[in-house]
Amino acid sequence: MKLDRRTILAVGLAAAATLAAPTAMAEPGSWSSEPVRIVVTFPPGGTSDLVARLLAKHLDADYGQKAVVDNRPGAAGTVAADYVSQQSPDGTTLILSNNAPFTIAPTRFKSIPYEPIAGFTHVAYIGASAPGLFVQPAHGINTVDDYIASAKKKQPTYGSSGVGSISHILGEAVDAALGVESIHVPYKGSSPAIQDFRAGVLDTFYDMVVQNSQMIEDKEAIAIAIASPERNPQLPNVPTFKEQGYDIVIENWVGLSGPAGMDAGMVNTIHDTVLAVFANPEVQKRLIELGITHTPMSTADYTSFVKKSIDVWAPLIKAAGIAE
Amino acid sequence: MDILASFGNGLLVVLQPNNLMYCFIGVFLGTFIGVLPGIGSMAAIAMILPITFYLEPTSALVMIAGVYYGAEYGGSTSSILMNVPGTPAASITAIDGYPLAKKGRAGVALFSTATASFGGGMIGMIVIAVLSPSLAKLALSFGPADYFAVILLGLIAASAVSNGGALKGIAMVVAGLMLGTIGIDLTTGDLRFTMGIPELRDGVHIVIVAMGLFGVTELIASIRASSGGKSTQTIDYNDFYPSREEWRSLIGPILRGGSIGSFIGALPGTGQTIAAAIAYAVEKRVSPLRDKFGTGVVPGVAVPEAANNSATQTAFIPTLTLGVPGSPPMAIVIGALMIYGITPGPRLLVEQPDMFWGLVASFLVGNIMLLILNVPLIGMWVRLLKIPYKYMYPTIIVLICMGVYSLNNNVFDIWLTLVIGAVGYVMRLFRFEPAPLLLGFVLGPMMEEQLRRTMLLSRGDPMVFLERPISATLLALTAGIIVFALYSTGRNRRNARAVEEKTQQEGTPS
Repeated sequence: MKLDRRTILAVGLAAAATLAAPTAMAEPGSWSSEPVRIVVTFPPGGTSDLVARLLAKHLDADYGQKAVVDNRPGAAGTVAADYVSQQSPDGTTLILSNNAPFTIAPTRFKSIPYEPIAGFTHVAYIGASAPGLFVQPAHGINTVDDYIASAKKKQPTYGSSGVGSISHILGEAVDAALGVESIHVPYKGSSPAIQDFRAGVLDTFYDMVVQNSQMIEDKEAIAIAIASPERNPQLPNVPTFKEQGYDIVIENWVGLSGPAGMDAGMVNTIHDTVLAVFANPEVQKRLIELGITHTPMSTADYTSFVKKSIDVWAPLIKAAGIAE
Repeated sequence: MDILASFGNGLLVVLQPNNLMYCFIGVFLGTFIGVLPGIGSMAAIAMILPITFYLEPTSALVMIAGVYYGAEYGGSTSSILMNVPGTPAASITAIDGYPLAKKGRAGVALFSTATASFGGGMIGMIVIAVLSPSLAKLALSFGPADYFAVILLGLIAASAVSNGGALKGIAMVVAGLMLGTIGIDLTTGDLRFTMGIPELRDGVHIVIVAMGLFGVTELIASIRASSGGKSTQTIDYNDFYPSREEWRSLIGPILRGGSIGSFIGALPGTGQTIAAAIAYAVEKRVSPLRDKFGTGVVPGVAVPEAANNSATQTAFIPTLTLGVPGSPPMAIVIGALMIYGITPGPRLLVEQPDMFWGLVASFLVGNIMLLILNVPLIGMWVRLLKIPYKYMYPTIIVLICMGVYSLNNNVFDIWLTLVIGAVGYVMRLFRFEPAPLLLGFVLGPMMEEQLRRTMLLSRGDPMVFLERPISATLLALTAGIIVFALYSTGRNRRNARAVEEKTQQEGTPS
C-alpha cells in the first residue's frame, strides 16, 4: 500500500510539461460536411456532458461545423470508448475522452475491449478540474496537519462518489501519503455523500472543489486542500496539498479523441478548431464556472499525456484495491 | 399560512405558459396511454423520459407527474367500457365499473370515476403540501440506518398488504432483489452476475425492467387474448350525470378512498394499485351498499379511483423528501432529477422551492385539466378504443423500443427488454404478479446500500439500528405490521381471496 510520492507528483508534471509545443498550424474551420457526433461517456447533465455541449454549440456557431452530443453511458465509460474505437476514422465520430475509460479502466478491469492508445487518435486536450478534501467545520480542522493529528486520535470516515471514482482514488492516495487510515464509505455520485456529510454522518468527503464553492462560502464545509498543482483562481483561499508539503496532484481531465487512423491534416484542423473554440473568452468563462482549467496542448503531447497517465494512475488504482 | 404562501408561489410557477403547456401535454399523454389497454403509467413515463432531458427540471417534473396521474384517469375508461384495465390499478375499478356499463350506465360510471379521481387528487395534494415540509425537516438528520428502516418498512408493508398469493408475492420480491444485485457492487466495486457482458456492469436499468414487464408482457398478453379494439358499449350522454342519491353516495367513498390512498401512497414503494385494492376492500366492509359491491354500484368505482389518484400524488412525498421512491415509477423520477444534478432528499424543498411547490400546485391545475378532458371530452377517448389493435400494438412496441434505446443509445437494451418481456409473459401465465418483482428490484439495492453503509459507519456494530430513535421506531412499526399481517391473514383469507380472484378475472383481458 506504500505509495511513492514522486509517482503522484508525476501526474502534475505530465500536465505541466505539455504546455503548447508547436505543430503545423491549420486554419480553424469545419472538417466534415456531415454533422460530427461527440460521444460522451456519461449521461446528460454532468460536467463532461456540459463541456461537450459547449463545444458542439460553438463549433457550429463559430466555425460552421455541425456537431451533436451522443450520450453513451455505461460500464465506467468503456461502452462508449469501445463504440468509438470501432467507428470509421473520418472525423464524424469523436469522443470526449477522460480518465474513466482511458486511464482508470485499463488498470481497473482485467480486460477491456479496446486499446486506449493504439485504438484511438488522441486529438486535443481540453482541461482538468481538481478534487479536494472537505471536513466538518465543527471539528476544528483547518490544515492537512490538523487532519493528520485528528485522524491519529479517531479514525475518520470519508465519503466518495463510488468505488473507483476519482474521489475514492484520491482518498486512498491521501491516506497513503499522510500515513492515515480512514474508513471509505462509497456513494452513488457525490450528491448523496454530501447529503450524509451535512447530516453529520460522515467526518469528511472528497469531491471536485469548485463545484462545492457554495458550501465553502456558507461555511458548511471546510476544504482543507485541493489536489491541483496550483490554487484555483476561483477559490484563492483553498490551499493545495502541495504547498502544505504533500505532493498529491490528481486531476480529472477531459479531451477530444477519435478512432485510430485519422488523417493527419484533418487531425490538425480539428485540433486547431477545438483550441480556437476554447480560446474564446466566453467559452473560457463557462469552463471556469464548471471548475475546469483549460491548457492548450499539441496532439502529440496529448497522446503521450494519455499514455503517461495510464502508468501514473496504475499504482494509485492498485493501491486503492479496486483493480480486478 | 406558510404553506398557503408557498402554494401560491407554486401556482405562479405552474401558471407560466410553458409549464402550463407541459402540464397539459403530460396529462393528455397520460390519459392517452392510460386509455390504451395494457400499458400503464410506468411504461408511459419511461417512454417520455428522453423528451424531458431537453426541458427545465420543473417543467419536466410537472410533465412526468401529469403523465403519472393522467394515466390513472385514462385507465378507468377502458376498464369500464371494455373490462380491460388500462392500468393495473384500474383493474379494481372494473369490478363495479363494467357491470355498471353493462347496465347501460357507462356514462354515470365514467363521470363518477372522473369526479372521484379529482376528489382523491385534491386530498393527496393537501396531504403532500402539509406533510412534506415537516417530514423534510425531520429527514435532515436521517442517517443510513434510518433510511434502511424506512425502506424496509415500505418493502414489508407492500408485501404484507398486497392481494396476491403470499408465497408467489414473496417469490417475486426475492426475484426482484436478485435482479437488482446485477452489476458493480457499490461497496467493493466487484462485478456481480454480469456474465462477462459489459452492458450489465451498471446493472439493469429500471426502465428496461418496467418496459419489459409492463409494456412488452402486457402487449403479448393482449395480442393473444383479443381480436378486438372494439368497444361494445355506447354511452348514452343523457344519462351522464349521477342521480342526486348517487351524488350523495359518492362523498363518503371519495373521502375514505382518498385518505387510504394518501396513506398507502406515502409509504415507500407501495403504488396506486395496492392503494386501490385496499381502499376497495375497506369500503366493501363499511359501505351501506356493501352487499351490492361487484354488481355495479357507484361507490365501487369511486373508491378505487379516489385511492389510486391520491396515491399517485402522495407517492411524491418520500420521493422528494427522502429520495426513496414512493412507487416504482418514482424511481424513474429520481433518475430524471439526478440527470439535472438535483438530488431528491430533505434539502430539495429548501434548495428548489419553486420546483417542489410548482409540482404541488400543478396537481391542482392538472386535475382540473383532467376533469375537463375526461368529462366533456370523454367521447374522444372512447373513439381511441376503436382503433384496431393491429395498428395500435405495432406502434406501441416501436415506441417502447425507441424509449429503451434512447436510455444509453445501445441496442443491447432493446434485446434485454424483449427477453424480460417474454419471461414476464411466462410468469403471467403462471399467475406470478410482476408488481412485487419491480418493487424488490427498486427497493432491494437501495436497502442493501444503506445497510452496508450503516455497518461501515458503525464499524460493524448492528446495535446502531436500535440506538437511533428514528430507525428504532420504524423497525418497531415494521415488526408490528408483520405481526398484524400474520394475524389477519388467517382471519381475512376468504375475503382477500374473493377480491383477488375477481381482480385477476377482470384483470386478464379475455
